[in-house]
Amino acid sequence: MSIFTPTNQIRLTNVAVVRMKKAGKRFEIACYKNKVMSWRSGAEKDLDEVLQTHTVFVNVSKGQVAKRDDLSSAFGTEDLTEACTQILAKGELQVSDRERQSQLEHMFRDIATIVAEKCVNPETKRPYTVILIERVIKQLQQSIQIQRAHMRLRFVLPARDGKRLKEKLRPLIKTVENEDFTEQLEMVCLIDPGCFRDIDELIRCETKGKGTLEVLSLKDVEEGDEKLE
Amino acid sequence: MGHTSLEKIIALQKKTPHIRNLCILAHVDHGKTTLADCLVASNGIISSRLAGKLRYLDSREDEQIRGITMKSSAISLHYTTGGNEYLINLIDSPGHVDFSSEVSTAVRLCDGAIVVVDAVEGVCPQTQVVLRQAWLENIRPVLVINKIDRLIVELKLTSQEAYTHLQKILEQVNAVTGSLFTSKVLEERAEKDAEAQSSCTENGSGDQVYDWSAGLEETDDSDLYFSPDRGNVVFASAIDGWGFSIHQFAEMYSQKMGIRSSVLLKTLWGDFYLNAKAKKIMKGAQSKGKKPLFVQLVLDNIWSMYDAVVTRRDKEKVEKMVTSLGLKVMSRDLRHSDPKVLLSAICSQWLPVSQAVLSMVCEKLPSPAEISAERVEKLMSVGARRFDSLPEQTQELKKAFLDCSADETAPVIVFVSKMFAVDSKALPQNKQRPLTQEEIAQRREQARQRHAERQAANQSAENALCAQTEALSVKTAVEEDNKEHFVAFARVYSGVLRKGQKVFVLGPKYDPSLALRALPEGCSAADVLPSVPHMACCTVDSLYLLMGRELEELDEVPTGNVLGIGGMEEFILKSATISTSPSCPPFTPLNFEATPIVRVAVEPKHPSEMPKLVRGMRLLNQADPCAEVLIQETGEHVLVTAGEVHLQRCLDDLRERFAKIEISASKPIIPFRETVIRPPKVDMVNEDMGKQQKVAVIHQVKEEQTKYPEGVQVDSTGLVTLTTPNKMATVGVRAIPLPEEVTRLLEDNVELIRTMEQFSLFAWEDKTLDINQKILENIQEFKVKLESNLQGRKWRGAVERIWAFGPRRCGPNILLNSVEGYRRPSVWQCLEREKETEKAEIRDFDNSIASGFQLATLSGPMCEEPLMGVCFSVETWDMKLSAPLAQQDSIDEDSQTAEPNIDNQNESSDTHETNAAGSSVDCYGPFSGQLIAAMKEACRYAFQAKPQRLMAAMYTCEIMATAEVLGRVYAVLSKREGRVLQEEMKEGTDMFIIKAVLPVAESFGFADEIRKRTSGLASPQLVFSHWEVISSDPFWVPTTEEEYLHFGEKADSSNQALKYMNAVRRRKGLYVEEKIVEHAEKQRTLSKNK
Repeated sequence: MSIFTPTNQIRLTNVAVVRMKKAGKRFEIACYKNKVMSWRSGAEKDLDEVLQTHTVFVNVSKGQVAKRDDLSSAFGTEDLTEACTQILAKGELQVSDRERQSQLEHMFRDIATIVAEKCVNPETKRPYTVILIERVIKQLQQSIQIQRAHMRLRFVLPARDGKRLKEKLRPLIKTVENEDFTEQLEMVCLIDPGCFRDIDELIRCETKGKGTLEVLSLKDVEEGDEKLE
Repeated sequence: MGHTSLEKIIALQKKTPHIRNLCILAHVDHGKTTLADCLVASNGIISSRLAGKLRYLDSREDEQIRGITMKSSAISLHYTTGGNEYLINLIDSPGHVDFSSEVSTAVRLCDGAIVVVDAVEGVCPQTQVVLRQAWLENIRPVLVINKIDRLIVELKLTSQEAYTHLQKILEQVNAVTGSLFTSKVLEERAEKDAEAQSSCTENGSGDQVYDWSAGLEETDDSDLYFSPDRGNVVFASAIDGWGFSIHQFAEMYSQKMGIRSSVLLKTLWGDFYLNAKAKKIMKGAQSKGKKPLFVQLVLDNIWSMYDAVVTRRDKEKVEKMVTSLGLKVMSRDLRHSDPKVLLSAICSQWLPVSQAVLSMVCEKLPSPAEISAERVEKLMSVGARRFDSLPEQTQELKKAFLDCSADETAPVIVFVSKMFAVDSKALPQNKQRPLTQEEIAQRREQARQRHAERQAANQSAENALCAQTEALSVKTAVEEDNKEHFVAFARVYSGVLRKGQKVFVLGPKYDPSLALRALPEGCSAADVLPSVPHMACCTVDSLYLLMGRELEELDEVPTGNVLGIGGMEEFILKSATISTSPSCPPFTPLNFEATPIVRVAVEPKHPSEMPKLVRGMRLLNQADPCAEVLIQETGEHVLVTAGEVHLQRCLDDLRERFAKIEISASKPIIPFRETVIRPPKVDMVNEDMGKQQKVAVIHQVKEEQTKYPEGVQVDSTGLVTLTTPNKMATVGVRAIPLPEEVTRLLEDNVELIRTMEQFSLFAWEDKTLDINQKILENIQEFKVKLESNLQGRKWRGAVERIWAFGPRRCGPNILLNSVEGYRRPSVWQCLEREKETEKAEIRDFDNSIASGFQLATLSGPMCEEPLMGVCFSVETWDMKLSAPLAQQDSIDEDSQTAEPNIDNQNESSDTHETNAAGSSVDCYGPFSGQLIAAMKEACRYAFQAKPQRLMAAMYTCEIMATAEVLGRVYAVLSKREGRVLQEEMKEGTDMFIIKAVLPVAESFGFADEIRKRTSGLASPQLVFSHWEVISSDPFWVPTTEEEYLHFGEKADSSNQALKYMNAVRRRKGLYVEEKIVEHAEKQRTLSKNK
């Protein structure tokens, strides 16, 4: 055992350094790993679980503490905790692998959920499950039949505009389910949700507000359970 | 005995009185299949050495590996006794609870049953179930007490002890039968009482004396019980190949001892002993301490045999015994190192089990011709319908059943109890056989003909067409080869079923009275007929004799036989009745002891194989009487099975036979609902809220700040005010919890709401929708009920002010119009058709507000699940819009106010267009869209301003359990957050019926757990019942001192609602407030500590 073991030296382990440059000076704080992102998102509420020590450094690895004057000029306060929270909120840091992984996972899930929500199997008109979509995205060589769920619209157009408008609307409509042209043109049809604004605009401008447009369903999917027999 | 030829069996099939249809029933592992093996071996189909080890009828691979039977399978056996030849159609059934549906299908086709009971384990839960099933189907059981060798070798009982043990088992079995009998008598009695009572009230006077005797004394039940002296009990050890009934010993000893066999028969079982001096049989062996006759004459012999062969391995003694019994044992067996081999070699000659069992079966079980009138009536009257209420022609068919005649004139009646899949290779048509000389000649001839045809085809176009179709048919035949073939497991009840015959296939819901009206009299299946629901006509493709894993092709099957019918998969789903007479009723549905309750979601490993999976699941549904498959609204493919073992089998089947793809099964998605409640009065430790000193929590403050973004104002009463991004409109919304009754009312009347919605839509365009009077009355009633449930100051006039229902325009949430000075047409328009005096106007963008509400209710803020039981009241709605802009954007509204405005509109059309150009420049998109978004957000914040709760879907769960396991049932229920509603005893039995509710989220694996914990004595049934608010707050954190004491600062003890909410959020990829690492200090230290 060495005789020269310094007893007053505090060694920090598991350090995640958060840096910030302010007022031309560099400030650093020593935090625990995997905790800074939780603090920023609001999940971690206990500051002591994030900060290793309520000290602002100039260089954490060398153990150089920031000067009091620099602190007050940069943060307007001499309170170390206050300075630490400011650095925590705005400073830059290396996102740890676990933090990044969980971020990516969330994003991936989110994307899959959106796809599953908006799309259907064109054959059955039923949605795919999120798990299935995830699996397809992961193994890119696989493919499944997928289709943006259609929107069901119903519009009533005055007779004199009917014919003209119908021609203009035709390229935007996927399938016409019902068409009735007696006094006025009444149509129920399926469209791609992306075309909704165009159709809306078209009808509004062309009929000068006399045509009506109504969304019957946001997405056309089979409802209820189906027993396979 | 050699292999029985097919011809022999065909000949025997025609002798109805000499046919016995029977099944083997027992608890799991009591030796059904082993016993069946012994019986099969007696026919030379398998070697008797392999009997008990081969398990011939377990033809599936997983059955062999797991060692349990999973399906019922039939085999036809031939047996000769006393100069009479019998045909025995034996059906082996599975014993595991999960497959009790297979037992039902087997029992239905039989006239008798062999109930096997393990001599060591005695009566087990499944024994009770099978006895009940046999009872319900009115079939006669006989008893086999199996595994007697275990009493000797394992338990090392003396013969005297074994005797008392066997007596006890017999008592247990008879107790079960007795309780079945009493419950039936009591039921009948109750029915009679009810009838009597109704007649009493009619007459006005009834006798006051109540008859307490309950009818038990009057009904004779003695023939129901099992007793060796009645000849319906066999003692056996199927594994060692021996078994005997008292008859055999009685006859043996009557010669030896000179006592009449009839006397011996009566005294061999019971409290009798042999007085050696007097050579007399005396009563009262127990009181005098003598050996009972059964022990002395029967058991002692067997015991000494085991002692000599297995325990002591005394060669000399064995030889002596063998010679005294007059048996021949091969020297190979004598020298064999395993004593069991020698034992079975001796025993199977001395007391062959097949002999004992089959002779008992032939003697005691009825032939198909002896079917009782009571059973026929039961089979023919579907559901609650009484037999008398059936059409006359149908009632006449009863005679055909009773006659059971194989005449040409007799109507054909066949019942198909299940469909089972057969590999196309196993079908006899596809089997490779050595060709006979004639066949080769025939083929040569055919080929020659084909060649000639081909030449002719060149000459005429017509012939070419023929050849083409021929080629096509060949092609389809090739394709079919890869297909799974289904064979119907069936029995002929009357007439003769022939190959190529035209028959009616009647589905389970077929109604003969309807069909008889629709069809001409005396029609047959060959005629062209109008279509009748649940009826199809088809030609019988092929008939098979079921020989375990083999099938033999037949040309005709006369009455009373069990058979397989091929080519029916198009017409029959699971079960059906086949008849030549349209007046035949469908048979009563099978009694399933287990209903499917284990749900899993199934998905293909490779997503592109989805169509294969769907096709496979369809096939599975057809092949399994108890499995259910469905596609849910979420797009999940759900498989519902009776238990975990059954599930495993279904998945294996899907993988290897029906879908032939890799699949994975997972927990199904569980739906939730979100709601708000009135602020609770007490906190988590049941302290009064408000009076308490809140301990300041720092992080709490931080959260409050981040909750609402800019532009949203929330006042203390929960009113949320929000302005659209272009600052044109402001809406104020408040969320109010709906009373529970109202929510239920809304849920129950979805159809009415939909009709009302439709009416309003039509009114929008100045059209009227005709609603019939009945529905109008219903709507009126619905409105009155709503009013009566929405009492109090808060809800004054609320019903009239309902703006919309949501989500999807018909859900259990309400949008309320509380805007001052805005009177819009009510949703009850259809009721007020006459009094349209004061025309209400609709403001512009009315629809946008409603749409915003629809979107908000479709997915709530907690975990994007639909809302339920929430009322959003719009209290303020200010618009700072220039008139033309409003008009331009309002697309829906003007048709209502079209007439008075026409001039006005034409005038403004100039300004209109310029404005239209201006508004589309608006960087926030169309105004209607902005308003929808604003309304949606306002609703969400209003929702969050109130105490939020999660609602869980609940199952009601009925559990039948015996008194001993009641405590364990309660333990499982409470562990899974279940709640017991009631518990009562079932009359006439020792079973308790417990009614409980259980969250769907906790139900995965519930059935299995409860079965395991109660050793199968409790069987739950789950049915979805309702939605229930989970009382705990998912956002709760301890705030008071008491709560800190109770739950600690972090409150990391489980919060059920939070757990559910986070699980849903995680599944959907939403943000979950969760730390990556809980304790910063407890992370692994990466650097070396210096």
